[in-house]
Amino acid sequence: MTSSPAFARNLSSRVGPNAVLAAEGASVDRVAARAVVRPADRQQLSEVIRWATADGVRLYPRGGGVLSSLGNLPAQVDVILDLSGLNRIMDYQPADLTVTTEAGITLAALRRELVQGDKYVPLEAPRPDRATVGGILATGFSGPLRFSYGLPRDWTIGISVAGSDGSEARAGGRVVKNVTGYDLNKLYTGSLGTLGVIVEASFKLAPIQGTWAALAAPFPSISGAVAAAGALISQVYAPQGLQVVSRNIAARLGLDVPGDSGAVALAFISGRPRAASRRLEESARQLEAGGSPGGETLDESAATDLLARLTDLPWREEDLPFLALKVTLPPSNVGSLVAAMELPAGAGLIADPGFGTVHLLWWPPAEVGEPETDATLDLIDSARRNARNLGGAVAVEVCPPRIKAGADVWEGSVGEAELEIMRRIKRNFDPAGIFNPGRFVGRL
Amino acid sequence: MIFHPEDLLVYEYDGSVDRSMPRAVVLPANEDEVSRTLALAYREGVPVAGRGSGTGLSGGALAAPGGIQISFTRMNRILQVDTENRTATIEPGVINLDLDTHVRKFGMRYAPDPSSQKACSLGGNIAENAGGPHCLAYGTTTNHVLGMRVALEDGAMVNLGSGAREIPGYDLRGVFVGSEGTFGIATRITVRLLPLPETVKTFLGVFPDIDSACSAVSAVIGHGIVPAALEMIDALSIRAVQNVTDAGYPEDAGAVLLIELEGLWEEVDEVSREVESALWETGASDVRVAEEDSERERLWLGRKTAFGAFGTIAPNYYLVDGVVPRTRLTQVLRKVSEVSEKYGIIIANVFHAGDGNLHPCMLFDEREPGVKERAMAGAAELMEYCVEMGGSLSGEHGIGLEKKQFMPLVYTERDMDTMKLVRDAFAPANRLNPGKIFPDGESYEPALQRTPTQVDPGMYV
Ligand SMILES: Cc1cc2nc3c(=O)[nH]c(=O)nc-3n(C[C@H](O)[C@H](O)[C@H](O)COP(=O)(O)OP(=O)(O)OC[C@H]3O[C@@H](n4cnc5c(N)ncnc54)[C@H](O)[C@@H]3O)c2cc1C
Repeated sequence: MTSSPAFARNLSSRVGPNAVLAAEGASVDRVAARAVVRPADRQQLSEVIRWATADGVRLYPRGGGVLSSLGNLPAQVDVILDLSGLNRIMDYQPADLTVTTEAGITLAALRRELVQGDKYVPLEAPRPDRATVGGILATGFSGPLRFSYGLPRDWTIGISVAGSDGSEARAGGRVVKNVTGYDLNKLYTGSLGTLGVIVEASFKLAPIQGTWAALAAPFPSISGAVAAAGALISQVYAPQGLQVVSRNIAARLGLDVPGDSGAVALAFISGRPRAASRRLEESARQLEAGGSPGGETLDESAATDLLARLTDLPWREEDLPFLALKVTLPPSNVGSLVAAMELPAGAGLIADPGFGTVHLLWWPPAEVGEPETDATLDLIDSARRNARNLGGAVAVEVCPPRIKAGADVWEGSVGEAELEIMRRIKRNFDPAGIFNPGRFVGRL
Repeated sequence: MIFHPEDLLVYEYDGSVDRSMPRAVVLPANEDEVSRTLALAYREGVPVAGRGSGTGLSGGALAAPGGIQISFTRMNRILQVDTENRTATIEPGVINLDLDTHVRKFGMRYAPDPSSQKACSLGGNIAENAGGPHCLAYGTTTNHVLGMRVALEDGAMVNLGSGAREIPGYDLRGVFVGSEGTFGIATRITVRLLPLPETVKTFLGVFPDIDSACSAVSAVIGHGIVPAALEMIDALSIRAVQNVTDAGYPEDAGAVLLIELEGLWEEVDEVSREVESALWETGASDVRVAEEDSERERLWLGRKTAFGAFGTIAPNYYLVDGVVPRTRLTQVLRKVSEVSEKYGIIIANVFHAGDGNLHPCMLFDEREPGVKERAMAGAAELMEYCVEMGGSLSGEHGIGLEKKQFMPLVYTERDMDTMKLVRDAFAPANRLNPGKIFPDGESYEPALQRTPTQVDPGMYV
């Protein structure tokens, strides 16, 4: 195996020295990279991919690196492909409610452009000033508003992906409704970069309307809060997003939590003023009827600020949790899952009873020290058992590499027959095994 | 099972203009019979096509030469309605409207509502990723399917998705929807249901001509309003509809828009006023509002019976399903009337204007020599134009047989080869609906060309 400097020299001679960045300190899950390449344009990206396919060089695409801890431990990282250079907006048509953009653009930059035409793209991401559209699509990331936004797949209408021969294949287009050919938008969204490099995507947009507000309603217990929130979310006046957070998470979010409460329900509300205030009033009423002693209303700036903090919480570099698990399951089972989970000291929950998602986040208290590997694996196992009993699945989203070495991120979450089709898809798309190998479901 | 030639006749076509006679039609009663039929056909090398209600408009349900059909008319049970999770689990032969009617008893609805909803099946909806008027606000079939049990070409069963919205791994359920029966046969389907809205209000905007109706569409969307539905019906279609039923459409109008708003009453109330002023500002000669269910149903009745009503104009139709960015509607509809003149074909327009999904309907009598060819040539020109305008070939009916030769207008070889990589993962032997969607592959020239009976053009039995 060539040493890193020789490897980087070889690479420079192919893609030009400007595109090759210092690999010092660059890693994927602490596996050091031999080189970092930042293609300046699609042509250069295509060359890197052709070379990688020919020489069996493993590529690890990266947008802003915000969600890059997601995935199984890579065996060997040859090249981190930094895609932040592909950041042009190709076409924005406010009147058609569509946008086409290169994938390396950050969500914040895209939002800034869209606001000019009074539109927004219903995507969420932690640290939107760094997270890229490509990263959001590859991970299929969804945030606290997923109840009304759905998933990134629901807004992606066209996609262009550089495949193993370096050329781009397109699917979909720039129209909001389209059944011309297979819907590969769905396949690439959430495929964690294992089928190719997402270069460009088109989205359906929504008009910006009215204002945002939020309601923070404390509850004596998290189970009570989940039940009340579940009842609210099925009403016609349901908020756009509804999360229940355990007491310690609420504290981390900087919320004032009354001494005797175990959880807080957070309702995020938007819309035209009259409808928004009705949603707010009815939500408050319904949550009180469900056992809350009464909540606090947050105005637009406090609400959007809280929303950002909640979205960022598991992904803040300076305060990364020791462990973050995401459970996805049928919405009505969220309460049972929350009741079944035994949490170690320092662990908390964020539950979304409208969509069917529960995040377990664990910051072990300093006096306890780093948890043992076995104890951590046991916790993951028990979450898996509970999820499976309730028709759900677990993804280990944040986890120290030493523990990941013994835990598959998605273990047992996909049936064998389904996995076999996934294996064939991976083989057909990436015969040389160069795109993010080893990181996805079933170590694809 | 059906195999007598006379009995097979009705399985020879669907809602499109193509024909192909199956060797036999199997009518399984359950999943196991589907699986065993597929396994047998696989061993014998016989291609298979699934058939729902045969309302497809792209030849999707036609059997490949020498192939058989599996029809789901006996697999039509609603297996479960889960009111807590708001889901329903059904067999593939369940009719779209039957599901919706059933779940309304529980205060819910199934949102995708193709105009053919009285007849089409959920299995067919999944294969085509069917849309409908209310997909403007709620998305098409793909946004509402949670899980499926699927029989693969060799009869093996696989679960795609579950009862959860988000599922791990590649989104096989997402890519299956819209795969036109080429990946597998859906034998059991779980869909998402939505709560019924608090308030529904329907508007009929009456316009002197198509151009002003198109600018009204842009004005509504431009106001930042995405209605639940926004449909356009042109003068010819209005007359056809009023011939068969009184939907209350003014017969001297150049076009009408059917607009529906849904939501909290405060929202609907506020948006109503904006919609009304957008309609008046763009030249409406009248705006009618319906809030009572019976009034609203009458307005919708016209929209939903339009295709049937075209039978009063001509016995055959060919429907173009092109989709364009909605700001291009005016241009494209002008092109439609040019094409109508150039090829001497009557074209009616009833379509999903809100999302730019056109349905120019070429009306003709196939017994008139050369007319079908002219209609097809006109349709081809329209599809090309839609693509030129930044649009696509099909918004909701699928490519199937009849549009496959146009795929290269939209996609390169490379794009199509990539799509086939997915098909090859689901169905490596390509035994399900072979020869559809892509321009290469099996030809469906019918083995036997029957001569149409000699009846004078204009007469019909
Ligand atoms: C008057 C009229 C109006 C229409 N309006 C609309 C509309 O508004 N929106 C819209 O989207 N479409 C519309 N359509 C088209 C058509 O109704 C839809 O495409 C519908 O989804 C087809 O359903 P079907 O049960 O008739 O399927 P079929 O025509 O029987 O089959 C369609 C395809 O589905 C496959 N298939 C059937 N069952 C299964 C299964 N269980 N598993 C896998 N594949 C299967 C078949 O092989 C075939 O490829 C309209 C059609 C007509 C005639």
